[in-house]
Amino acid sequence: MDPEAARTARDSLDLAFHMSNILDTGLDRHTLSILIALCDMGLNPETLAALVKELRRDPSSSQPTPTIQSEIVDFTVMDLPMLS
Amino acid sequence: MEEQKVSDLVKELVLRLLSSNQPDAEHSTSLVDPPKALKYAMRILSSRMAPSISVDEAAMAESIKRHLVNEGKSSDALTFADLYTKFSSKSGPACIKNKWAVLYLLKVISEDRRKEKKSDSRVSSGFFASTVSGGLPVLFDDDSNNCRVSRNQKTLDKGWNGGVLLVSKDPENIRDIAFREFGNLLKEEIEVSEGVLVRDVLYACQGIDGKHVKFDKNVDGYVLPDFIKVPRATGIMVRKLCELGWLFRKVKGYISESMDRFPAEDVGTVGQAFCAALQDELSEYYKLLAVLEAQSMNPIPLVSETASSGNYLSLRRLSVWFAEPMVKMRLMAVLVDSCKVLRGGAMAGAIHVHAQHGDPLVHEFMRRLLRRVCSPLFEMVRSWVLEGELDDIFAEFFVLGQPVKAESLWREGYRLHTAMLPSFISQSLAQRILRTGKSINFLRVCCEDQGWADAATEAADAVGTTTRRGGLGYGETDALESLVVEAAKRIDKRLMDVMFKRYKFKEHCLAIKRYLLLGQGDFVQYLMDIVRPELSEPANTISSFKLAGLLESAIRSSNAQYDDPDILDRLRVKMMPHGTGDRGWDVFSLEYDARVPLNTVFTESVMARYLIIFNFLWKLRRVEHALIGAWKMMKPNSITSHFFTKLEGAVKLQLVTTLRRCQVLWDEMNHFLTNLQYYIMFEVLEVSWSNFLDEMEVAKDLDDLLAAQEKYLHSIVEKSLLGERSQTLCKTLFALFDLILRFRSHADRLYEGIHELRARTTESSMPSRDRIKSRLKSNDEPSGFGSWVGGGRKALTQRAGEFLRIMGQDLNTIANEYSSLLEGFIAQLPVQQHVDLKFLLFRLDFTEFYSRLHPSV
Repeated sequence: MDPEAARTARDSLDLAFHMSNILDTGLDRHTLSILIALCDMGLNPETLAALVKELRRDPSSSQPTPTIQSEIVDFTVMDLPMLS
Repeated sequence: MEEQKVSDLVKELVLRLLSSNQPDAEHSTSLVDPPKALKYAMRILSSRMAPSISVDEAAMAESIKRHLVNEGKSSDALTFADLYTKFSSKSGPACIKNKWAVLYLLKVISEDRRKEKKSDSRVSSGFFASTVSGGLPVLFDDDSNNCRVSRNQKTLDKGWNGGVLLVSKDPENIRDIAFREFGNLLKEEIEVSEGVLVRDVLYACQGIDGKHVKFDKNVDGYVLPDFIKVPRATGIMVRKLCELGWLFRKVKGYISESMDRFPAEDVGTVGQAFCAALQDELSEYYKLLAVLEAQSMNPIPLVSETASSGNYLSLRRLSVWFAEPMVKMRLMAVLVDSCKVLRGGAMAGAIHVHAQHGDPLVHEFMRRLLRRVCSPLFEMVRSWVLEGELDDIFAEFFVLGQPVKAESLWREGYRLHTAMLPSFISQSLAQRILRTGKSINFLRVCCEDQGWADAATEAADAVGTTTRRGGLGYGETDALESLVVEAAKRIDKRLMDVMFKRYKFKEHCLAIKRYLLLGQGDFVQYLMDIVRPELSEPANTISSFKLAGLLESAIRSSNAQYDDPDILDRLRVKMMPHGTGDRGWDVFSLEYDARVPLNTVFTESVMARYLIIFNFLWKLRRVEHALIGAWKMMKPNSITSHFFTKLEGAVKLQLVTTLRRCQVLWDEMNHFLTNLQYYIMFEVLEVSWSNFLDEMEVAKDLDDLLAAQEKYLHSIVEKSLLGERSQTLCKTLFALFDLILRFRSHADRLYEGIHELRARTTESSMPSRDRIKSRLKSNDEPSGFGSWVGGGRKALTQRAGEFLRIMGQDLNTIANEYSSLLEGFIAQLPVQQHVDLKFLLFRLDFTEFYSRLHPSV
């Protein structure tokens, strides 16, 4: 990476981080960079956001308990084929 | 390769997120299992490959900004805007290509965090495990006790309103609150929905009471009762629309009322046509209402599916639809009001007045209406003008006919009824229409002429219409006028032809002039000669048969015998009603019998006037005749001269003076009479006659003829001093006539006296033959002499002297009277209005003898 590109990348990341702070997303710089990279690769930002949301939830609520009826978080763990 | 990268990145992300979730590292093992989480993550990632909204970077940025503003963080929004500008301007090898995705990502994550934060406070209740997807606001029940609410959540706004909890995203969403309050207010206020009102209004506009809108007799309108709560604006609008219903009611009421009266034959044809036209208009109106009713139930199709619309027809839409029918209905109501009591032509005229309007819509409407309303009228005009038929059961036409005798058909049979004359037919046109129809009827009835039908067809062809029904309509007044003019022209010509050729009008007028106005001199003279002795008798001893016989012989012995026998037939003697003491002279007159159709022109009153003139002229002639008779006596004859020579000096002088005086007086009277006669016969009668002839030539119709005759008679009457203005003069004139007659008798007496005396003197010396002759002559002597025999010459002279003295005195008196009367007569002449009398004066006084004699004259 040439310095120019590095600088651009760094600036972009700074800006994005700033914006994310304004929007109060709670993401740190590193996570944001990963997310940006994934977006750039063409992943659907909606799914990424959902992923973030899910993984960020309280650990107690992410486990299926009998009292909780949740339509969406009703998953059966399947063997997903690895993407590679 | 890419995929490996992706999975690596994802793995790293997962780890990071999980670790950030659990600040406490000791709990990590009991919590989420990284491989499980990874699997879960992959599952999520593969669930939705494509985003659900379109790629629009700027819109996304805008949306974020708006969000920030809505939350009240406007400074943050500005900062964000700034950052975004810089961010999006970054370009180069290592820049972020999918900027939109980044923004969207950040936005969604921040939203989710916000929702999470909101739901965090309730988490421990265990009730709400997750937020529902999407962005719907969360509804909380009001059981706050169960929830461990963290009261320092500023972002939560609680609103309690009648059992409905209003949740807003932030405390300052005032607009939304306001809208919702307004919606509730409306729901409270309106008991009746707009759709129902619209339907009620539609019913009202057909005259039917709706569910809420009813007709109120006190107010005389359709009203919404007070107990129904509607917003004021709606109420006003309903009232305005119901005006149409009120107008409709009025019009419909009139129509049904009229139709009820149809069987009673109270409503004329024009009224019926009016009702029919109104009903047609109303049926158009019904069509419109039917369409509107059908439309009123349908909702409008809209582009957006989520928005819902009310019914198609709102009150406002209705008011737009009703604009045009309102105008028309108002017009009809106005017409109905103004025509309530009218009928026939008057109704048509009243409606016509309303048609003078500039608005094309109104104009067109009125034209249609009037065309129908006036069609019966025009039909009547057409049939009257072309056929003379008056087909008018309901008395709506402006020509009124009444049954009269044939001779007064022209003058009184028909007249104009101005009340029924519509305003678009002018007076002169109406007069012409009247006359044309009258002429046709006159021809048909009085003249028994059938040729007028051809004339009528010709007229119709010339104008371009037909003689059948329905040729003309309203708005074609010009065509009507030209039709009437053509018809009038032809019919009049025909009438004139018939009058002059078949009925020889001119010849009859001439005959009247010759006989009644003493134009045929020889006939008059002869008549006078033979009738004179008869007429001297008292009136009641005269028989009219004898006079008729005398008339016949007079005719036969004069040039009159060569006249048309038909005309001579009509000439007869008439004895006027007489009282006692009347002489034949006072009651004798001639009359001329004019039959149908000429008695239209020579009516009773006209003939009476002729009679008056005849009497005057007859008297004049009589006086003249008398005077001429006196002259016969006064001619120098042997008897007088013999007598003259026999007399002695003083008596001789007396005789001469008396005779001279007699002569002079006679001469004066003769002069007067001759000039008067000349004036009357020539300057009055002949001149008037030639004027009358001229006017007869140019007369176009019977009215003209009648007018010409009037003028003729009037001028004769005026100029011959028989008119009202010359009453005093007339009296003087008659006094003069009487005086002249007296003179005549005096002169007779004088000369007879002379003859008597002469006879006496020559009695002895005359052969018996002459004696007998003279005795016969003296049989006519008036009393005063008796029969004396003998006496001798002295006695004779004395007698003669006395006689002559008496005579002289009488003559003197007569002369004085005469001159005074004449003076009076002449004095009054210049005062008369008539210019022709000046000529009389001139002739009488051409030597200015009288004016010099009596300077006051």
